[in-house]
Amino acid sequence: MKRYVARRLLTGLLTVVVVMVLNFVIIHAAPGDPVRIMAGMEHPSEAQMEELRVRFGLDKPLWQQLFIYMGQVARGDLGTSYTYNTPVLSLIADTLGPSALLALTSCVLSFLIGTLLGLFTARHQGSWIDSTLSYVSYFFDSMPPFWLGLVSILVFASTLHLLPTSGMVNLRAQNTGWALGVDIATHLILPCGTMTLIQIPGYLRLTRSSVSQVMQEDYITTFRATGMSEKQIFRKYVLKNAILPTITVFGISLAYVVTGAALVEIVFAWPGIGRLMLNAINRRDYPLLMGIYLMLSVSVAVVTLAVDLLYAWIDPRIRLK
Amino acid sequence: MAFLELRNLSVDYLMGAQRVHAVDGVSFPVEKGDSVGIVGESGSGKSTLGLALLRLLGEPTAEVRGEALLEGMDLLTLAEKDLQELRWRRMAAVFQKSMNALSPVHKIGKQMADVYRVHHPEASREQAKQRALETLRQVNLAERVYTSYPHELSGGMMQRVSIALSLLNHPDLIIFDEATTALDVVTQGQILKEIQYLERELGLTRLMITHDISVVAASCSHVAVMYAGRLMEYGPTAKVLRSPRHPYTQGLLRAYPSLRGEKTGMQGIPGALPDLKEEIPGCVFAPRCPWATEDCRQRRPEEVTIEAGWRASCPRAVEGREPDA
Repeated sequence: MKRYVARRLLTGLLTVVVVMVLNFVIIHAAPGDPVRIMAGMEHPSEAQMEELRVRFGLDKPLWQQLFIYMGQVARGDLGTSYTYNTPVLSLIADTLGPSALLALTSCVLSFLIGTLLGLFTARHQGSWIDSTLSYVSYFFDSMPPFWLGLVSILVFASTLHLLPTSGMVNLRAQNTGWALGVDIATHLILPCGTMTLIQIPGYLRLTRSSVSQVMQEDYITTFRATGMSEKQIFRKYVLKNAILPTITVFGISLAYVVTGAALVEIVFAWPGIGRLMLNAINRRDYPLLMGIYLMLSVSVAVVTLAVDLLYAWIDPRIRLK
Repeated sequence: MAFLELRNLSVDYLMGAQRVHAVDGVSFPVEKGDSVGIVGESGSGKSTLGLALLRLLGEPTAEVRGEALLEGMDLLTLAEKDLQELRWRRMAAVFQKSMNALSPVHKIGKQMADVYRVHHPEASREQAKQRALETLRQVNLAERVYTSYPHELSGGMMQRVSIALSLLNHPDLIIFDEATTALDVVTQGQILKEIQYLERELGLTRLMITHDISVVAASCSHVAVMYAGRLMEYGPTAKVLRSPRHPYTQGLLRAYPSLRGEKTGMQGIPGALPDLKEEIPGCVFAPRCPWATEDCRQRRPEEVTIEAGWRASCPRAVEGREPDA
């Protein structure tokens, strides 16, 4: 098991390095010139642009820039953002918390609710609850998250005045302690609810079909023949077998936690990393963009490893010797 | 009355407006200690028959008629509660795909202990474990199997596990549904020997559903030959296989090679299974039977008794002569 983990860590590290190189090349090859944007003028002078290029090292050949960047990263320095003029690391650190709060909460909530609903509908197939939930889930599944977000703002914030429209805290109130917690929670309801509703249908359908499939397995017939009660068969044997694909999907969605919520973050003016990323793209802020992508690939690698380990723990068939 | 008595057992699968007559009016007795081989080609209804006895056919899609009396109790109409009570204590089963016979993500021992405790809820963990180990020993498996997962064992070992599982709650009757089909002949031979030994030791009665006549020849006291859902011939294995009376049994035997004896040509039965969705008024085998008469096609043949405990549903059977091949 130790060797397995070590090997997986090593391949994970390798993947991250490869992704970094690819990202670097692709971002620099993309059209748009950061210098032009930084100059902030319709027609900046050649001299001004040259000055900026030299200052940010953009005058050197691409491969040289890549090596300089890799060297920096190896020393734990992600560079300085062109547009914010702040270290990339601190920009990411500031936005990571709010992003993780929003995305993790909705990931876990949708996983739990979706799986439970899936189990319920699988046990009551053909009932009116089953068919109602199936229609409702298609409804939410086909809805773009930013649109659902806008509608929920319109209904719950603008019309009913129940919840705040945007942001993560009420800046005027200057809350601390408990009050701050409550304040964040109220701000969290709409964006988190939006993302949860969008993600529930996937889990619901996956769990439902996974349960139906497991119910067809030969070992379920064996247990029925032994006189074991349906309840015991379901709780003890169907559940553990049926939950496996759900865990995979949960893992994948966790890996994209940080950036998957970008559109919802923008709709709700949530101070998260997704918003930071979109700004970085628009302004061709190379160091910031590279930093965010690096973060993303590291988090994908780590979460994939964690899910694989969890999987191996649950399913003995994929345990490696 | 026999230990197990099938009377006019029929199973229809309902597919929309259509009915597939999977098993059609099968009757035969099974005495205690008998081992009855149910043979037939694919689609002959033999597996459906087994599942009907175990009451494992889905209610809305399968309609079961007739009687299956286990010491006078009708298995087919037994109340759910009594059925659960009877399962595995009186009647157990070993299924075809032994590799899938147990959950892949639970240890074998844990599953066996769970099954034991279904009918012995008062038993402690340790008692359940001891009983499981006992049955594993009975089928010549090492104790380590108890803590293994199904994928860690070979097909033959899993087949033995399935047999051990069936023995857990001391059943009287075990139904083997193509239980040795997927095994190589050497393993199959060993397992058949072990089954016969256990049978004598524990006084078991066995139904052996198989398409392999050699399995029946090697391990069954009686044989029931099925074709297209109907019983063609039933009798003591030695007699039926040596001098088959029903033209279908004769054809089936000619289609098997023999290791010993003269070198004879193998011969298939021309034609194919009839469409079971259609009502067939006469003999189901008539379209493929070389001796079929107009009467055979029009009227369902009556069962004729060749001698006590040996009968066939063909008017030719009683004449007792092997037709010229």
